[in-house]
Amino acid sequence: MLHRPQTLDAALALLSAGDAVILAGGTDIYPALRDRPPPAEMVDLSGITGLRGIGREGDSWRIGAATTWTEILHADLPPLFDGLKLAAREVGSVQIQNAGTVAGNICNASPAADGVPAFLALEAQIEVQGPGGTRCMAVEDFIRGPRMTRLDRSELVTAIYVPDSPGQGAFLKLGARKYLVISIAMVGAVVLAEGDRIAKARVAVGSCSPVACRLRDLETALAGISARDIAKAVSAAPLPELVPIGDVRATSHYRSDAARTLITRTLLQAMEARNVA
Amino acid sequence: MQTNLTINGTPQRLELDPRTTLLDALRHHLGLTGSKKGCDHGQCGACTVMVNGRRINACLTLACMHDGDEVTTIEGIGQPDNLSPLQQAFVSEDGFQCGYCTPGQICSATAMLEEVRNGWPSHVTDDLDGGADLTTEEISERMSGNLCRCSAYPNIVEAIRKAAGENA
Repeated sequence: MLHRPQTLDAALALLSAGDAVILAGGTDIYPALRDRPPPAEMVDLSGITGLRGIGREGDSWRIGAATTWTEILHADLPPLFDGLKLAAREVGSVQIQNAGTVAGNICNASPAADGVPAFLALEAQIEVQGPGGTRCMAVEDFIRGPRMTRLDRSELVTAIYVPDSPGQGAFLKLGARKYLVISIAMVGAVVLAEGDRIAKARVAVGSCSPVACRLRDLETALAGISARDIAKAVSAAPLPELVPIGDVRATSHYRSDAARTLITRTLLQAMEARNVA
Repeated sequence: MQTNLTINGTPQRLELDPRTTLLDALRHHLGLTGSKKGCDHGQCGACTVMVNGRRINACLTLACMHDGDEVTTIEGIGQPDNLSPLQQAFVSEDGFQCGYCTPGQICSATAMLEEVRNGWPSHVTDDLDGGADLTTEEISERMSGNLCRCSAYPNIVEAIRKAAGENA
């Protein structure tokens, strides 16, 4: 049975009742089934208007869980979000971006989810509601492993919160081709620059560990250095967080090497501060 | 589950298993076989249709999720004796070989040209506020959700450029 609740409470009641699967944009559920039948019980969130849209709340930006990647791309947001916007236009294809949602990308918990490094660099918080009320945690803590999150079966993600800050966002993805491809590696970054120097940087890498991760030691090492020293700092960093696997898309050695190059380029992209609409 | 869809301007009331994809509803229940099932995984774009003016993959969405929505398929874009400018251009520029991906290409390109008119930038657009010229690179980039295994890409790009020029 497919349920189409119009309110959050109705959706939560349906999830509490049994083993229903949450359906948001639908772009991951169907491909993951392969030739198996669809789940017996599905709760479609697309009818709940409160779950969509982007707005300012206090010191944070609130992104509704069922906001699509296309909506992210066309939202009026500060340069902090440029990395998220760049990630938005590399998720699948335009057809996928028109349907797929931000929370779906996070909850699917693929190590190669394009949105996750961008959200990690934004220090995004995820809001979860369930029968026990509302709880909030960092996206970094929410994803526990490949295809595993802290979401209980009776809960759903209602929003993502991004604390406002003056930094410049950037994002780069490496794949065998530009679109419709699973990433070999991708990097999300937010840089606060002072002239030619990095005052503060946040860097996250995807597809190179079971869960996309922040590179905190590198971030410390980057503070205060100038743009021309970025490549040197990145190649000198040990980066123990990156433990890429070798698979059909790339060997682990290639991934390690490519990730470093991508990190440098992403930081330089942020320093050049190119606006995306 | 009862679902009301407006397909190519005509209201349709469908009684469907709620797990029916929009693509299966179009092909099996309404006999609109123009939308093709290529990969059924959202990778090839052969099933591209427009829902409320936006292009999506009909294989990755359930018909019931679109209750009340307006769906445009290749059958609504033009007919054999009344081709749309894009369809005309695909014929004149030989924008296909086997033709299997063509309905999806044309639905996708129809929505894509509207996106360009609305000033949406793509991944390769330099001026992010001033609109985009339909260069080969722009068209290829914007059409990358639609694969053509015959590799008719150069002629597909030409067809789209021609149709866009005639509309301008």
